[in-house]
Amino acid sequence: MSNLNIDSIKNQTYDAIVIGSGISGGWAAKELTGKGLRTLVLERGREVKHVTDYPTTTKMPWEFEHRNQLKKEVVDANPVVSKCYAFYEGTEQFFVKDAEHPYVQEKPFDWIRGYQTGGKSLMWARQTQRWSDFDFEGPARDGFAVDWPIRYADIAPWYSYVEKFAGISGNKDGLASLPDGEFLTPHEMNCVEKYFSQETAKNYKDRHIIMGRAAHLTNPKQIHYDQGRASCQNRTICERGCPYGGYFSSNSSTLPWAAKTGKMTLRPHSVVHSIIFDEKKNKATGVRVIDANTKQMTEYYARIIFVNAAAINTNLVLLNSTSHRFPNGLGNDNDLLGKYVAFHNYRATINAEYEGFLDSTTDGRRPNSAYIPRFRNLVKQETDFLRGYASGFNAGRYQHEDRNGMGEDLKNNLLNPTYNNVWSVGSHMMGETIPKASNFVALDKTLVDPWGIPQLRINVDYDDNDVKMTKDFFEQLSEMYTKAGFKNIRTNDTNRTPGLDIHEMGGARMGKDPKTSMLNKWNALHNCKNVFVTDGASMTSTSTQNPSLTYMAMTARSADYAVKEMRKGDL
Amino acid sequence: MQRRSAVKNIALTIGVAIVLPSWANAWNKDSFLKNHFNIASSPENLLAEIVETIIPKTNTPGAKELNIQQFIPKMIADCYDKKAQEVYAKGFGLVDMNAKNSFSKSFLECDAKQRLEVLNKMSKSDNSDEKSFIQLVKGLTIKGYLSSEYVMTNLRIYEYAPARYHGCVPVKK
Repeated sequence: MSNLNIDSIKNQTYDAIVIGSGISGGWAAKELTGKGLRTLVLERGREVKHVTDYPTTTKMPWEFEHRNQLKKEVVDANPVVSKCYAFYEGTEQFFVKDAEHPYVQEKPFDWIRGYQTGGKSLMWARQTQRWSDFDFEGPARDGFAVDWPIRYADIAPWYSYVEKFAGISGNKDGLASLPDGEFLTPHEMNCVEKYFSQETAKNYKDRHIIMGRAAHLTNPKQIHYDQGRASCQNRTICERGCPYGGYFSSNSSTLPWAAKTGKMTLRPHSVVHSIIFDEKKNKATGVRVIDANTKQMTEYYARIIFVNAAAINTNLVLLNSTSHRFPNGLGNDNDLLGKYVAFHNYRATINAEYEGFLDSTTDGRRPNSAYIPRFRNLVKQETDFLRGYASGFNAGRYQHEDRNGMGEDLKNNLLNPTYNNVWSVGSHMMGETIPKASNFVALDKTLVDPWGIPQLRINVDYDDNDVKMTKDFFEQLSEMYTKAGFKNIRTNDTNRTPGLDIHEMGGARMGKDPKTSMLNKWNALHNCKNVFVTDGASMTSTSTQNPSLTYMAMTARSADYAVKEMRKGDL
Repeated sequence: MQRRSAVKNIALTIGVAIVLPSWANAWNKDSFLKNHFNIASSPENLLAEIVETIIPKTNTPGAKELNIQQFIPKMIADCYDKKAQEVYAKGFGLVDMNAKNSFSKSFLECDAKQRLEVLNKMSKSDNSDEKSFIQLVKGLTIKGYLSSEYVMTNLRIYEYAPARYHGCVPVKK
């Protein structure tokens, strides 16, 4: 018997465990296996293999029974996920349905999740911008949250490292606010986007319209072919999974790369209950996993643990990892775990029309749009609210059909669409929100989920700063649009619920001082140094960039550090 | 409510007012409807001629040949709320009623020109049920037609993988 036990402990022991296989977990898996570590990757959902598990990726529009409209019973049963722009008949299989993983909305919060290998990296919007020191220095300069323990110089080489592998398209714009990266060929701005860029440069010294930077293989390099990926085909149905690997996902890139090392064990249907803390060793020794199908609990052991469950679930795992030493959650001596959650304010949009370039249009499709980096409060505080916003910018020359009447005339009109006599232009705001203690997640004392794990109570809301910033976005963008000669400007405060931005961050923030932060500058828990958190939960502040690229870079940096420490015998 | 609307659907399908048989009272949503709109209550022949009137055959196929009469009931059953389903179910009776009022014959007995006149009249009707029915069926006919394989591969070509984006090209005259 005792031999059997020793064997099974041996079988359940790895060098490293990675919790989650999404955008950051995939990177942890790649880096750790690449450095020779036998790595167990735990994914709570089912396995989704690149290409073969993308059931709708090659479907033509007419092959969808409801032409990509959701069934009413799906909408009715899923008021939360149905609000997500990427959730439709062709992508239903990649999103968590509301009832599958319940949580308590103390305040309305749309928690959008993807439980499968690859997580949300399958359906993400693929925008990838670097942070600059204007972002990392924000909390210290403006007096909120705590100072970031890192600066741009710490992470810049790691941005380069992950960009080269993932494949990021973009233009070297030379902007201090948005550092250039290792770019593949940029997508093209269309005539009206270029025009707006030029007009804005004339009208403002410090405002720029640039081509969006996106994780698309516009001109793949050998490293991408080595991953089995090929050029993006501009289909713009990325969220169904891409058979070419034209955009970056864990499924197309990091996970198969990790698998090739022979060092990765990927265990799907593995819901992590908690991390095991050993008081004598003063470190974590493994994780408790509930099999999603059998509901049986198994323990797995490793010398280092990477927590990449996606921001909110990472908080859940840490909060639920209680022990005699840490009764309030792993590493949580300061009672900050779960607090200072923040997100991106996406509630504002603006639309208008432009009457120029009417002899021109666009050809083909583009999985990207133009981008307006943050200009507000960039170099110094200049408004009555803190921080600022980035924006998308998109111009399109759309066609329409006259749908009046019935019969042959209608048919003829339907088959002969005409170009609108304007270009349609629009922007959406991506505003920084200020992390605060009152925006938090916590474990419910009585309610449990289908795996017997406490449900999360989510308590996250906008504040006055967000309202003021929204107003400023409308004013500034209206002014920029007006100066460029755009007409029929319409602003829309959608009042949409936090969460739908799918940029939730924080709860286990990085910082210099263990008294005021959870993680150190290497993303390790101050109080449990062999546990690393490198997903959104680690974010001290949110700035305005789409966050995934920063998670990738932090993960690679942190994995490099962890393995060096292991080799020194320090972990 | 569901039972009543289903019964109504069937009544309209048959096209005459019927007296409820006693067994009808034993229906309940579990045994009969299972919460679903009854697709069988769509009179396919009548619907086929309605969609064909909206988008007729010319030198290219019309809506009937493209089976839009099968697409519409599926959409109504799966994607629309009860109110729309009721508007839809009531509409067929109204189409025939309008045909009879104008031409003293059923819609199916009318010629193409008369059919078009009936639907056009209903689309401008003060009766909101008539107007809504036409709006609903016409909208879905257009959707089904434009997203049909025939149209998307022959007339308004859908490019599966364009592999390009050009930001500024001349509008083709």
